[in-house]
Amino acid sequence: MKKKYALYPGCLMPTEQYAYELSIRESLPLLDIELVDIDGFSCCGEPMKSVNRLLTLYLSARNLALAEKHKLDLFIPCAMCHLALSECRHILGNNPEMKKRINGMLASEELTYKGTGEIVHTVDLLHDLVGVETIKQRVKKPMKGIKLATHYGCHLIRPTEIGRPVDSEHPMKMEAILEALEAETVDYPEKLDCCGGILQINLPESALTKTGQKLKAVQEHGFDGFVDVCPWCHKMFDSRQSKAGETVAAKLDVPVFYLTQLLGLALGVKKEKLGLELNLSPVDKLEFG
Amino acid sequence: MSIVDLTSMGKSQTELRKEINGQLSKLQDEISDYCFQCAKCTAGCEAHKLLELEPHKMVALLKRGLIDEMVNSDIIWTCMSCFKCRERCPQRVAPVEILFALKNMAVVSGKQIPGKYTAMLQSILSIGLIQDVQEVTTRDNKTMKRDELGLPSLSKPCDPAKFQVGLTKIAVEKV
Repeated sequence: MKKKYALYPGCLMPTEQYAYELSIRESLPLLDIELVDIDGFSCCGEPMKSVNRLLTLYLSARNLALAEKHKLDLFIPCAMCHLALSECRHILGNNPEMKKRINGMLASEELTYKGTGEIVHTVDLLHDLVGVETIKQRVKKPMKGIKLATHYGCHLIRPTEIGRPVDSEHPMKMEAILEALEAETVDYPEKLDCCGGILQINLPESALTKTGQKLKAVQEHGFDGFVDVCPWCHKMFDSRQSKAGETVAAKLDVPVFYLTQLLGLALGVKKEKLGLELNLSPVDKLEFG
Repeated sequence: MSIVDLTSMGKSQTELRKEINGQLSKLQDEISDYCFQCAKCTAGCEAHKLLELEPHKMVALLKRGLIDEMVNSDIIWTCMSCFKCRERCPQRVAPVEILFALKNMAVVSGKQIPGKYTAMLQSILSIGLIQDVQEVTTRDNKTMKRDELGLPSLSKPCDPAKFQVGLTKIAVEKV
């Protein structure tokens, strides 16, 4: 069944994490997902929560309202954006007074938040809506013999209270998707550890240490690769990997992929179309048929 | 509309301060009833292992009303917002939300905002996003731009003036 979504790009993916966007645009249509581009989206507001929580709420509601205006559900590839918009739906759904206030502010852009649209992230879109069986049937180049570590990202798995697409303590949907591509996945103790991404804003050294600690453990466990689904996490684990290694006195050498890059490869998309040359970690270490 | 309106001590900020104060008092009341200092939040805290943030102590300080002390401390800016404390608290206290409120309070009280927050906020005010399109480097050290990769143009607020009017209301409205 064909399903249509407005792609909500957020800030980080469309301004520098191009590999995620490229691989999403290449691989999802092969699974009968139609992506629509809407002009006018803004930041989700989550990075500004420390500065002003009302700003976060307002920006999230604004983006939800814009999608509602186009009568489209939202596909949100960034874990941080997905959290912000989920929380906004949760708060405004339970607080009519706040909803009224936000809508009063949204009027300047002729927008109204009603709460009618749905939102999905990459992981639940693939696992729950497309389904593991469908993915299995469409795989052209199975990834046999590759052992992968998954990283969901804190914002995707917590807090359960507002509704998250995966379990908070034992998330397994990425594993199921990767196994549909015939890759091997193994649980590891550091799986739920944070990438440190948010601290890039004010304590960049500490942020890199968090990244380095997790990647060092992944490397020591002997994984062939590391898979993530959030542009903030990927920026830390992939783009900043060598710097992160310096903070933990390790020579890090872990190939880091977006889930949609591996999905695209398994579905038979050419390497060049998935932005693999933009991954700064040594993804060439892995040979794909 | 400038960043000053959203972050400093204009007339409207008095209202904002009052409102955040109200939020903190409410949190303080709730905590006094529920938190029994089991420290499960601190046991899982991502910032604890690295930067010595101890969420259960923040809760204890709030319980005692030591809000100014926390607002003036750098420790509130070490939270990575991983939400483990909120997820795992057996009493449904959410230290991470307390920290957000404290940081909001620091900002509205005119304390210096650390790191790149100011630049990001400024960017949101002008183009709606935390940063504009960046040039990136491939593994072979070639530089690439968004359009060179065949990606469509960036989605951002179509009418920046109207977008800013909406944001201005945040500085004026109560939180």
